[in-house]
Amino acid sequence: MTTHRPTQDTSEPAGDDKLAGLLAKLDAAITLLTDSLDFAKPGKLPRVLDTARRVLLQEGGAAAVEARARALEEAGVFLGSDWETPQYLVPSLTTHALKSADPHTVVIEALSELRLLAVAKGEYLHPLVSAEQAHHYLTQVMALNLWLLFGAPSEAERETQGRLAQIPRHLFHHLAERIGYEHIIDKLIEEIWRILQQRPIQVEPVKQMVTQIAICQANPAIDLGTSGQGADRLVSSLFGPTQACREDPGVDVYRGRLSSMDSAALQGEATGFARAMHDTGLVSAYHPVLLRHLLDHGDHLLAEALGLSSTGRDCLLCYRELVHALIRGGVHPATPQAAYGLALMLERGILYQPPVAPAMWRQLGLSLSEWSQQRLNLTFGDAISPRARLLEGVLCMLGQPLGVGQGNNPTCQSARALSMWAYNDPDYLLQMVAWAARDDEIIMHFEGMPLSSMASLSGVAQTLPMDLDPVSLIVVPHLDRIYAEMGRRCIGREGDPHRWVNPEFHGWWSGRGFRINVDVATGQLQDLDTFLRHFYASYHPYYNGNQPLIHPQPAGIAVTDSAARFIGWHAITVLRVSLDPNDVMRAYFFNPNNDSGQDWGDGIKVSTAGKGERFGESSLPFEQFASRLYIFHYDPLERGELAQITQEELDRVTGYVHRSWGADRIPPMGLQADAGQEPNGN
Amino acid sequence: MKKDPNKGYIALLGWSLNAIEAAENFDRRYVVVAPDWAEEYCQKHDIPHVSWNFERLNDRSLEIAETLKEMGVDVAIPLFEETVEWAGAINSLLLDSPRLYGQSLLLRDKALMKRRAQLGGIRVGIFEEAHDKADVIRFLKRVNQTLLKLDGDPNDPIHLKAFDKAGCLGHRVIRTPDEVDTIPDEEFPVLMESHLDGWEFAVEAWIHNGKIAFLNISEYVTLGYSVFVPASPELEKYRPQITAQIEKLIKAFDIEFGLIHPEYFVTSDGEMYFGEVAYRPPGFKVFELLERVYGFNAYQASMLVFDPKTTPEEVSAYFPKEVVDADGYAGCFGVYPRRRVVSKLEIPEEVEDDPYFESHELTPPLEETVTKRTAFGTHWGLIYFKGDEAARMKELLKHMEELDFYV
Repeated sequence: MTTHRPTQDTSEPAGDDKLAGLLAKLDAAITLLTDSLDFAKPGKLPRVLDTARRVLLQEGGAAAVEARARALEEAGVFLGSDWETPQYLVPSLTTHALKSADPHTVVIEALSELRLLAVAKGEYLHPLVSAEQAHHYLTQVMALNLWLLFGAPSEAERETQGRLAQIPRHLFHHLAERIGYEHIIDKLIEEIWRILQQRPIQVEPVKQMVTQIAICQANPAIDLGTSGQGADRLVSSLFGPTQACREDPGVDVYRGRLSSMDSAALQGEATGFARAMHDTGLVSAYHPVLLRHLLDHGDHLLAEALGLSSTGRDCLLCYRELVHALIRGGVHPATPQAAYGLALMLERGILYQPPVAPAMWRQLGLSLSEWSQQRLNLTFGDAISPRARLLEGVLCMLGQPLGVGQGNNPTCQSARALSMWAYNDPDYLLQMVAWAARDDEIIMHFEGMPLSSMASLSGVAQTLPMDLDPVSLIVVPHLDRIYAEMGRRCIGREGDPHRWVNPEFHGWWSGRGFRINVDVATGQLQDLDTFLRHFYASYHPYYNGNQPLIHPQPAGIAVTDSAARFIGWHAITVLRVSLDPNDVMRAYFFNPNNDSGQDWGDGIKVSTAGKGERFGESSLPFEQFASRLYIFHYDPLERGELAQITQEELDRVTGYVHRSWGADRIPPMGLQADAGQEPNGN
Repeated sequence: MKKDPNKGYIALLGWSLNAIEAAENFDRRYVVVAPDWAEEYCQKHDIPHVSWNFERLNDRSLEIAETLKEMGVDVAIPLFEETVEWAGAINSLLLDSPRLYGQSLLLRDKALMKRRAQLGGIRVGIFEEAHDKADVIRFLKRVNQTLLKLDGDPNDPIHLKAFDKAGCLGHRVIRTPDEVDTIPDEEFPVLMESHLDGWEFAVEAWIHNGKIAFLNISEYVTLGYSVFVPASPELEKYRPQITAQIEKLIKAFDIEFGLIHPEYFVTSDGEMYFGEVAYRPPGFKVFELLERVYGFNAYQASMLVFDPKTTPEEVSAYFPKEVVDADGYAGCFGVYPRRRVVSKLEIPEEVEDDPYFESHELTPPLEETVTKRTAFGTHWGLIYFKGDEAARMKELLKHMEELDFYV
């Protein structure tokens, strides 16, 4: 009845009484869990997790747990949780789990990693994952959490986790020793490039990872082998992109060097910075020093240093005074990304829209409310004035409208709105920023009724979001409350509230026509065929008279995980539909998630680069996109005939739906019609 | 485990996963009688189940007894205070013994219980029923007059307890007439008792055929906070007297079988005072502590002594020898937040690093503001310890009271 397992003590330091005592307790707890019936397991689990936590706090604890990985899994530690199916685990979710304040979450994540380590090392033949898969997964996890390997616990971690923060660190040192540092670095570099290709506004996490690599390379104790070669561009773009700052001399020294340079040398510096910035989307702190210096050296060099094309240069020359003021007010060594935002904003030519330039002047002189100043200082520190910080945010958002991210908050709607305005209606965005930052209040209208963000009780987010870019930080709390209030105004109406909320919230260009393929009351799929035909007729160039999409349109998707299981409803923007370089019709869209390169399962992998995407765009072949769509808007006056899509194409899309989020939403009729269909893929 | 059709068929009254797990791993057939919210869970996990809502006994009460009888159930075991009289009613039908119902009512009412004990020659403190606050003030005065206190001397406290609730629920200590005002009117009527200065302990006794099959003494370090088993040698030296007391109790209440859980005080002169007795498993997870040191499952032990088909040989083979067969001392401590505002659970490092520390059942706080404790209140979770020395265990459990687990 009782399964006694031999304890392999070979990897445990001898004479460590404390660890040995804890291990005896752990083994007893594992035995209790193993022997208990399924329904009683949840009651025995906390003791296993808690004892494992204490073991993991000890030196050598991770090795001891690794030796027990199989026993732990077989006892049922992962039963009924996502960790039960390691083949579907998503590496990027580990960060959140390991930072959790809940000890059980941290421990179970650590146990899962150690289990996969045993699998990767061939010590544990797992029925669901191969050693290669496990190895691959672990290197990704390591790369994503490199901060755990090299950094001491931050103040935030100490505050939320206390002693618990030691566990991920012990775990990662153990993992790194067993897997080898060289695997991690290359993976990490690849990962950084993948994220940078999406050109996010918030680059702080990327900068941290690049810094980690730089530290790693400089540490003689870490043997990177042949790995890490691809990191040079990343490291140099942050710490030494040009001749005069190659050895990272510090901002003051660099400023001194600039003062003794002739124009040829300045030209060289300008080109070097511009290339680094446009290559990576990262801006070195030295770059603003040069830009500020060049304000007195002619606009030719300034345009060069911003890496502008003829469009951008024209814009710079037209709005010379404004650009100079923007550089003086917003581009500092503490706000280097403002340079990139400025360059891209000039390239977009939006200053030529009559209200934008005056609105930028207002932004330059905007006095921020006490509350806005506090929030900016609290989040970004007070190395620079809150106004400059916000200006950096504004420049970045106008330059990179698709770089907006929602952070770790349920505010995809607000993030989408900001991105849409920056993209389509920049002066409206500037108006919103002014109201929010100066007046602490935004008023929007819903069906003729004014809604004030001050009067609305609560938003979708339960707590004030902090992990955002400066503009979102100030504006999102207001938008979120208004959005939630609009939803409350729709309570009692039949159908999905987005029908009314989306056009009122985002802008007049959101189509008032609305289609949804889910019956709100039952959650069942509804009229999937006509929904799809209508979507094709509205958006697909082959079926809508080859009309490119004019305005960005809000749409709703059913997000699925890498096993094609439904996760939740999500707000995105459809930007355009066109042929990619391989002549595949693709939908290009904006996803306010922070990293859009997601695997939605069943062969659907969202692409973010290499398929004709512009910076920040996500894309999918049109069919695959249609299969995850559940809400779209259209102009009711332009509604054409339902598209005559071939049955095969329709079946393919329906197949994707039925194999994923629609699997348990098929109404009785549909089930019979498709009873003979075999799921494929996966 | 495979069920033996020649042995009894047992109904468990009330919902306890630990009891169900024990029953599942025991050779008796069983059925869980629990409210209908448990039905879905039972179906999902193949747990034999009969839905029944335990409200007050009423004219439908016979229905559950008859249902169980038709199923061939031999005996019902109460798992909670609230199901004690149900078990009495059901067993009086199943075992064709009407007095079992009367017995269960005695065991449910603390005032009746004390009278019966007194009649059986068992020493109890001074007690009285109170119907309103004036009764309480009068009793407090009288008790203190009896103790020859002068005006201005600090009063000896009195204890107030609900008639029919388990353990510390509704238990208050009153020292001054002012404190009487804090008792809400809806708590009346209550039982009042004089305070006995002494060493309080509890007993778990499994009884079969009117004889003690196993007698455990649970030592309280601080009432409502901590308990450990087996008792320290200092308390165990009273075992013969305690056994004699339990035998008196069995006789006074006419108990043939089952598990009783009485509480006593032993005063400094070695005199035993009876507190109360319950006919159900004790709170504070004493069952788990017993399993930790003796290795037998106390729920299974209860099923054994309740089952009318159990033989005396089976009983004597089942139970270990008290104290000598225990492989150490197991104790637990009930954590109450000590601060008014708490934000998180933080087990003190000295606790976690203590070799006696085994595990805990504490969960993070759901609310930041701690409700002010009225009466004894309910603890927020237990921490378990095990070790070799009773004295060290006692000291450790006592020390826990000075630590913050919620900060």
